[in-house]
Amino acid sequence: MAGRRLAEARALLPALAVRERAVEREQAALKRLACWAGGFTSEVCCLAQSMLLLEVAASLRLFGGAAKLFEDVVAGCAKQGHLPRAALAPTPLAAQWLAIGGDDRGSCTLDELPHRLGALPLSVLALASGDEARLASFGARSLADLLRLPRAGLARRLGTGLVTDLARALGELPDPRQRFVFPELFAERLELPMRVEQASALGWAARRLIDALCGWLAARGGGISECVFEFGHESGARQRPATVLALGFAGATRDAERMSRVLGERLQRLHLPAPVERIGLRAGAPAALAGHSRSLFVERGEGASDESMAGLLERLQARLGDDSVHALSSVAEHRPENAWRRVAAAPLTGEKSPPSPFLAPALRHSAVGPRPLCLLAQPQALRELAGRPQCGGPLRLLAGPERIESGWWDAAEPDALGDVCRDYFVAISRRDEWLWIFRSRAGWFLHGVFA
Amino acid sequence: MSSSTTLAQILERPDVWRGDALARAALPGVPTGFADLDRELPGGGWPRGGLTELLPLRRGVGELSLLLPALARLSRDELAWLVCIAPPYLLYAPALQAGGVDLSRLLVASAPGRDAAWACERSLAADGVGAIVVWLPEVQATSLRRLQLAAEASQALLFVFRPAACASQPSPAPLRLALEGEGEQLIVHLLKRRGSAQPLPLPIAVQRPLCLRHALARPASALSAARSLPRTAVA
Repeated sequence: MAGRRLAEARALLPALAVRERAVEREQAALKRLACWAGGFTSEVCCLAQSMLLLEVAASLRLFGGAAKLFEDVVAGCAKQGHLPRAALAPTPLAAQWLAIGGDDRGSCTLDELPHRLGALPLSVLALASGDEARLASFGARSLADLLRLPRAGLARRLGTGLVTDLARALGELPDPRQRFVFPELFAERLELPMRVEQASALGWAARRLIDALCGWLAARGGGISECVFEFGHESGARQRPATVLALGFAGATRDAERMSRVLGERLQRLHLPAPVERIGLRAGAPAALAGHSRSLFVERGEGASDESMAGLLERLQARLGDDSVHALSSVAEHRPENAWRRVAAAPLTGEKSPPSPFLAPALRHSAVGPRPLCLLAQPQALRELAGRPQCGGPLRLLAGPERIESGWWDAAEPDALGDVCRDYFVAISRRDEWLWIFRSRAGWFLHGVFA
Repeated sequence: MSSSTTLAQILERPDVWRGDALARAALPGVPTGFADLDRELPGGGWPRGGLTELLPLRRGVGELSLLLPALARLSRDELAWLVCIAPPYLLYAPALQAGGVDLSRLLVASAPGRDAAWACERSLAADGVGAIVVWLPEVQATSLRRLQLAAEASQALLFVFRPAACASQPSPAPLRLALEGEGEQLIVHLLKRRGSAQPLPLPIAVQRPLCLRHALARPASALSAARSLPRTAVA
């Protein structure tokens, strides 16, 4: 119904639903699309009238040729929820005109440009109505007619603006455009067309934001290791604060699939206090992506498998919780509880910390007594009967004692073990269980299992 | 086409084996570090791409020590990742390191209930995981079957610890071992394997803490141990 007045349109289609044009939202959508387009080229230009220009000459080889790239852009736009009228041309102005004229062939060379442009009606130029009438009086109805007219006469009658535009469209004059500046920080919002009550149903809409984020990251040449989703709830009498969901990744990434997977796991466990109306995505400054070195020979190595491990780690953490997945490290300490530490698992860092000289296995064997593979989180008190510790019957002491004592230096700290004085023994129970027990002033305790 | 060649061809298949011999595994197994055990396992070691069910009768009989040589080998020599899921106790890092495990390639996940099987399935799908050790005390037979299928699609070792009471229940695992302690030795009962049945229990000398210099010359009495403690705090 473009170009008709509202009353006229209503008369033709009584069931017409009329919405006010929200220019701000249009602009926001255009900006989001510009960020997304960063995945194809860093030379993006936002025009008025909801138009986006992508300079793709440098991207043709990477994306497999002009036709393939054009197809990808159009399909990606549709995924973003927009149905573009797209065109491909060697000059920006020609592309603009072709897009308005609805010529969406996926290839165009400079030689065939006059022919292609010629097929367009004059309305694509969006001339003032007086100018269009004058051109009509010259007998010019299409661009082909216009191109046939002598330029000097045209410039005298209609001003130099039109002639310059024609020259620019045909590539005779340079046509520099102002580049879209990709924002320093990514913060985009998406209004949902309807209220969403199930957290798991938010994935598809969030994917649009993730794609836009990845485009922005590609243009900025980096990756992110965390981002924050905000689910805005229905505005009304009881306005609730937005539900915030922070996603963390094992390393800097700009893989949209990977982000969606992690988000999907988190959404499955997210409880929404109220229906969601809008989704926001924020990300900080991009970090440098880790480079990969591919091995020359196929072998199980540190390269590709680490990337896959990072993906596994993210998925486990997303479902089980960040604290539930960790790595272990040993610490040079004599008190058993302090001789190990949970550390963040980091498959992508890849830098193996050299084992400290105190922890060399050979030294361990000679310096300290046996250590069990399994440690109890808390020493478990054992009964003593006739001078012997009991654990399902009397225990037989096989090795020991190994005296472990002192630790006064952290006695004042909260949650620290503090001063200990224990004699450790290896004991075997009647049922042939190998246990690590100790005797302290408080009695006998079971501390480990030689599993 | 003669029928004898067809039969020979069928017998060539890795999933077909004769009752009087061990099956040939498609992939060579990972040596267990115990020659007696290797000889009795199809493929000459822990099977890659298969579920191994371990049923220890008690804790502390050496059930983890049995796996330790293979885990150490995978993490150190093959640079593969080890994933431990839902261990009932804290895995003690110094002892693992002393056993040769590269701690920088170990991942520990605590997963309650059904999440443990899920985490296990995800780990099997990841490239670069060499072995998964998971404790599933209350797993359903269907989950176990799914894990077995997931394991077949990967090349990782999958060890599932279950209570010894499960020995009487049927299981999709191609290899089932009941573990029992007897003095310094770990007795392995091969409940199920691909190949002829092994009725005799195997005594395995897993590493026990006795061979270290802290061993007592004679059993210490608790009284003397108690006496050796200072009665008062250090002043």
